[in-house]
Parts: sequence; C-alpha cells; structure tokens
Amino acid sequence: MTTLAKLQRNFISDCLSGKLTEENTRLAKDIDTQSISASGLMGIYQTSAIGNIINSMKLTYPVIEKLVGDVFFRAMCKQYILSHWPKTANMDDYGSDFAHFLSEFEHVNHLIYLEDVARLEWLFHQSSLANDALTTDWKLLAKVSESEVLKLKFELAPSVVLIKSDFPIEKIWRMNQLNAPQEETIEILDSETLLLLYRDGFKIEMKSLSKGEFELLGSFLYGKTFEQAIKISTDAENDFSIQVALNKYIEQGVVCGFAH
Amino acid sequence: MLCAFLVMKIKDPRAMQDIQGVGIGLRHRHFKEFIEDKPNVPWLEVHTENFFSQDSTAAKYLREIRKVYPMSAHCVGLSLGSANTTCPVREQHLQKLKRTIDWLQPTLVSDHLSWSASDGVHYLPDLLPIPFTEEALKIVTQNINRVQDVLQRQILIENPSSYLNFLESPLPEYEFLSTLVENTSCGLLLDLNNVYVSAHNQDFDPLNYIENIPLAAVKEMHLAGYSIDHIEGKDVYIDTHGQRVYEGVWQLYQQAIKRFGAIPTLIEWDSDVPELSVLLEEKSKADVIVNNIINEQVK
Repeated sequence: MTTLAKLQRNFISDCLSGKLTEENTRLAKDIDTQSISASGLMGIYQTSAIGNIINSMKLTYPVIEKLVGDVFFRAMCKQYILSHWPKTANMDDYGSDFAHFLSEFEHVNHLIYLEDVARLEWLFHQSSLANDALTTDWKLLAKVSESEVLKLKFELAPSVVLIKSDFPIEKIWRMNQLNAPQEETIEILDSETLLLLYRDGFKIEMKSLSKGEFELLGSFLYGKTFEQAIKISTDAENDFSIQVALNKYIEQGVVCGFAH
Repeated sequence: MLCAFLVMKIKDPRAMQDIQGVGIGLRHRHFKEFIEDKPNVPWLEVHTENFFSQDSTAAKYLREIRKVYPMSAHCVGLSLGSANTTCPVREQHLQKLKRTIDWLQPTLVSDHLSWSASDGVHYLPDLLPIPFTEEALKIVTQNINRVQDVLQRQILIENPSSYLNFLESPLPEYEFLSTLVENTSCGLLLDLNNVYVSAHNQDFDPLNYIENIPLAAVKEMHLAGYSIDHIEGKDVYIDTHGQRVYEGVWQLYQQAIKRFGAIPTLIEWDSDVPELSVLLEEKSKADVIVNNIINEQVK
C-alpha cells in the first residue's frame, strides 16, 4: 500500500507537472480510473488549484486584468502560475514576480507600460498589508540642537512606497478604477512618473511627487542623514523647500520618526 | 481525555457571543456595505488567511465590522491531512492563525478534512482529498490535536468535496469523521454542497451520509453552489462556490435541519462574488426553510 506521504508527493507532482498524460500521471495506480482517466481526474485538481490562484491574483492585479481583459488575464496568469507555484498558504505573499514575468512575456511586448503598472499594483498591495507606524513624540525634535539635526535620520512609515516609472502609470491606474472618468488620451511616452504610496487609515493614498520630494523621501528610505538628504533633494530640484516638504510629510504620517 | 482547550479561560467577552441563524461569508467587495449599512445578518464568517497582516487595510475593515457582528473563522491553510506533521511551513501558518484568532475572538473556528502542503516544499491552494485509512486517521488526529492545543479551543472539521475515489480507502467518510470527533473532541462543520458534490462524483447516497454523521458534533453548516464540468463524457460537479445554491442542495438542507435542528448555517460564495443583495436572497431562502421546519416540528 502507498503510504500517505508518498501518495501526497505523487499528488502534488501530478498537479505541478504541467501537461498531464496517462503515462506521466504518478497517482494512476492509487485511484479509481474506471469512469475518468487518471490524467483527467488529476487535471480537475490542477485546474481547480490554478483557478484559486487566479482568483487571488485578480484581487492583487485588477488594473492589469482590466487592461488585457478577463480571458487573456486568466491565460496569462496560468502561464505564470505553472512556473511560480505558491510556497505557503498565505496568498497575500503570492505574485511578487508577476511584473518581471510580464516584461518577458512576448504576447504583451507591445504594452510597454504593463510591467510598471503591475509593479505599481504589487506595491499598492504591499502597502495595504504593511504594519502601522509606531507613534513618535515630535516635541523631542525641537530639543535636538541645530548641528545635531543635520545628523538625524528620518524614518518613513512601513506603508510608504516610492515608485519611479518612464510611463504615466498613475493616470493609467486611475482611469481603470471603478467609475473613473475616462480621459480622452494618455501620452505614453515622455511621461516620467514619480509616485508616493502610503496608507492613511483605511485608504492607500497615491500622490505624484516632484523630483525634490522623490529624492528627499528616497534619501530617508535609504537611511541617509538629513544633511545628505537636503543636498540630494536640492540638487535634484531648484528652489525645493525642505521645510515645507518635511512638515507636510510629518503631518501626513509619511515621515513617522527619527533616529540619532 | 481532557483536552487543554476545554479548560481555556475566555479573556474577551466577544468570544462568548453566540451565533445563530443564517450568516454570510464576508468578502472584500462587501466590506464598506457592512460598515456603512450594517445589513441585518446575524453573523459573518471570514477566511482567516486574508487577515494575517494585522494592521492591513483589510484587517482594519474587519475590526470595524467585528464591533457589530459575531464571527466565525474559517481556515483553508492548516492542511490537517498532511502526512508531514512537523512541516515548518504549517507550523508558521498555525502561529499566524493563532495571532489572528486572538484578536478576532470568533465564536467558531474551522478548517477542512483535506491537505494542501507536502514535505514543506510545495503548497497547492486547494482542498485536496485523503484516503480514509487507519494511517490517515492517526495523522489527522495528531494534526487536529496539535491545532487545538495551540489555539486552546475546539475546532470544527469540514467534510471535503471530492472528485476521485482512492482504491485503498476502507472507511466511509462519515465514519472517518465520527472517529475524529471521538479521538479529538473536535466538532463538525457539515458542508451540504460538499456532501452533494461528492455524492454525485463518487456515487453514494447523500441522505445516508448525513444520517450517519454524529448528531451532537455538528455545530455549523455551509450552503454554496457548484459548477458542472464535462470530462471524458461524464458530468463532474466542481465545488466552485461561485453560484447560487442548487435545488438538490436545498432539499438536502431540509433533511439536515430536520435531523440536526436549526444549526447556524452559512451562505458561502468565494469566486465571482456577486452583489450583497444576491447573498441576502440566498440567506432569506435558508431562513424560510428553517422557519418552516421548526414551525412544523412545534405543531
């Protein structure tokens, strides 16, 4: 008799094997195949599992689904799944490589912005899952001496994401939300986008950034000192007001703390 | 055996909330309606795996909804039928589940008589069948005991839907479930759609099945829809939870209410989730069936 462990190994192997045939179906000798062949039966489970993963991907990538249509989205996801089976039962973690997959998926080569839109949707999803920021007593900042302030490292909330794209991914994303007003045309080329995502209560906010803002927050993200962040952001944008930007991001909870 | 979960201390009064009547599975697209409109539904069921990130947007919605509605927690990832009982992936999953259960404080917690992880390497997001053997009985018993010990509470085991018969499966499914109840003091979640689907696919009598389920063990029932696939000339019922409840399942529900009484029942819809009004219509149908049978029994 086949042990349960071996039977389960064979079961998984059949479901992950891609195209099933009677010759390659390892579970064949353990199941009743009088009415339906072993490959037919295992195909039911393979299809069901793939369908469950696609349902999860539809929640993470609704704009990609809308852009390519339901039928194509399902077919595209199936190709992805066959080479990226989940490792855990937590489907919130699934689909991180989808943007990269799209960049190499020849059937969508003409949709040159698709990879970046997928990246935006994955990061939006991650932002929605992030931990809340710890509270900071900002009065303590006033007690830091002027020379020490420059050495501080400001911290960003866990939900903060910065995205840079050569395409107008924010416009594309907004146009494909439920009940969104339709713009007549979107200029795809020469539309560099700098974006900030962060969670405010129940909602993920998406804001366009200037170059100075992007570099300031990016500097904080990569652990630069305040002095370094000032230099990088003012180099990127003439007349960039650090004070205005910092106050705004502290108020919004984007900058959530500081460390010496 | 006096299991640890029987002597647990209830820290949160919400855990004492009873769930009664016909509830609905809470899905993402209905979050705002439950917060803003507070539809008249006696209780809700959530898939716990969708709320493992405790600060997530989804978890924030759930915390708001939880203030109003009693809840049951339905799990899909414990893989209770996995032969590898010490798989670290499953253990991590169990710890995440415990954290979620601790803040959600649901009245009931359930998972399936199925498996989805093998050797800790691969995970298939589906409820895969096990053969009903003495070996499997020992393994599932061990796994249920582990979960109940960690969660410090009873869990309910849901009967699976199945599309195949194992050649070596000597115990009837209802006997396997009954023995699990005896071995672990777990309860049962009787999914009538699954009974109906499996009965069709495996050619057994669904009424005989529910008549052999231990009366006192059933704490919850599920109703859902299935789809029909045509495979090699055969109609196979697939447990998609993406349709209205079929007439045959409603009839089985009447028999189940007669046998088990007005057990809390859930309208479950997982794929292509429709507008809330559709789920409320299905709930109303179940309410009518329960009320009619209870009224008849009173007469």
